[in-house]
Amino acid sequence: MEILNILKDILLGLWETSGLYGLLDSPEKLIMIGISFVFMYLAIVKEFEPLLLVPISFGMFLTNLPAVLPEDFMYHAEFWTMEQNADWLFTVLHDGGLLDKLYLGVKLQIYPCLIFLGIGTMTDFGPLIANPKSFLLGAAAQGGIFFTFVAAALMGMSAAECGSIAIIGGADGPTAIYVSSKLLGNGANYNVSTGTIALAAYTYMALVPVIQPFFMKLLTTKKERAIKMPQLRQVSKTEKIIFPIVVTLVVALLVPSAGALVGMLMFGNLLKESGVCARLVDTAQNALMNIVTIFLGISVGATTTADNILNPAFAKIMFLGVVAFSLGTVSGLLLAKLMNFLTGGKINPLIGSAGVSAVPMAARISQKVGAQTDPTNFLLMHAMGPNVAGVIGSAVAAGVLLSVVAY
Amino acid sequence: MNFQSAIGMLAGGSIPGPDLLNGAQIAGVTIAGLGIVFAGLVILVFVIFLFGKLFDAINKKTAKKQADAMAKSAPKTAPAPKVAAPAPQAAPAPAAADDDEVIAVISAVVAAMSAADGKTYKVRSVKPAVSSSLSGRTAWAMDGRRNNVMPF
Repeated sequence: MEILNILKDILLGLWETSGLYGLLDSPEKLIMIGISFVFMYLAIVKEFEPLLLVPISFGMFLTNLPAVLPEDFMYHAEFWTMEQNADWLFTVLHDGGLLDKLYLGVKLQIYPCLIFLGIGTMTDFGPLIANPKSFLLGAAAQGGIFFTFVAAALMGMSAAECGSIAIIGGADGPTAIYVSSKLLGNGANYNVSTGTIALAAYTYMALVPVIQPFFMKLLTTKKERAIKMPQLRQVSKTEKIIFPIVVTLVVALLVPSAGALVGMLMFGNLLKESGVCARLVDTAQNALMNIVTIFLGISVGATTTADNILNPAFAKIMFLGVVAFSLGTVSGLLLAKLMNFLTGGKINPLIGSAGVSAVPMAARISQKVGAQTDPTNFLLMHAMGPNVAGVIGSAVAAGVLLSVVAY
Repeated sequence: MNFQSAIGMLAGGSIPGPDLLNGAQIAGVTIAGLGIVFAGLVILVFVIFLFGKLFDAINKKTAKKQADAMAKSAPKTAPAPKVAAPAPQAAPAPAAADDDEVIAVISAVVAAMSAADGKTYKVRSVKPAVSSSLSGRTAWAMDGRRNNVMPF
């Protein structure tokens, strides 16, 4: 008899701590799991930034798996709204699930900076050095960030939320994660999370080939699109080595809060251009980058809990995200048109849209739209200048947002 | 709501994150933000532009020096290969030997072809093709370039 009682207790205990029992408690998790499947579909079948959206959507799936006991959850949203002190860190390390611990790399802004290191080792700033005027286009496209800031503020978002949504306009995933994890991490309750910002940023980055050509054709004439630009000059190795050092110095002197992002980007670039650190470059652009991408993706995905997504704020983020990308594209195009006018028709305005920092996608779009008008026109290298300048520009814009809004 | 108070609000993280923004703050962030981004990148434009000029000047000087050195040492011995020698100026006009080599290669190809189809061909003259169409590139070069860019 006693055995039966014990058996009954065990089975009852197992049932009451099971995921099924948890599901009865919070059925909205089923919807969330369904949404994670949608993103997995977009990533795997439609190939929307799959290297990031697969980890993010699976993190979303894991974080919404139902459970009953607090220690069974892999991610605890409540840990990240606590006041952050020594006790908090102990709580996360002691009571946190796997995804909580991985998320520390986001919270402490380690992953985005390491990704920037990897990007630096893969970026050739040659086209930008050969044509420094491209910097202006990289700056103009950041209009997407600040005009979206206005739009978000007018929609009644708080300062931290405005900053986090606006940075989507930079079209730069790591920067968006860096800024939003800082701005949204001061213990207050926000309707926006780093996860939802990252989802919007990466979804729209994948949609750049859909969003940009429309505005590019709308704002340029056929004659402008056919403008051929002279070949860029050859850049010496010494210039390429000095470039990352100078940029880091200038940016850090102006906006120290952008120092970590720009510093790592340029450190990676110096490793590459120095030509004497082949092993480090190999690790930074392959092994390290991939490891960090996995951790970043899955832990950012974990922040997308039901109260973040099943929330009117998420619809606002998705709406403002597409506004941000469009405004960035338009700002870049308009400045390029102005520069074309001022130089007497020497600049193809199509390279302006490449000022958003989705590298190298935005530059490819410039090349593609240019080639549609005239197949003998090669804009790729001319568009790479504004494109890599956009990465620097959005890091500077991120620095400005971080120094203006308290966190 | 004047400009100065808007700028004052921007000093060192002075907008609390959870707060809603007023008109002056929104305008302040937008103007200052775009302003700083432009200022930063305009400074970089100038710095990089100056560096470019500087390096162009240095490169020209070393190229000239090397050309001089080559001209001097040419009669005695072949010049030792210098590190990163800017070749274009140093390279003399295409020598007759090069042309012979090219003609030999072309003749070999023609010979191979004639062996294949049983007829005999003779190379009467070899002229460089000058293409005026397609932005100065030959059709082959053009197609090669298009193929290289196509994956993008």
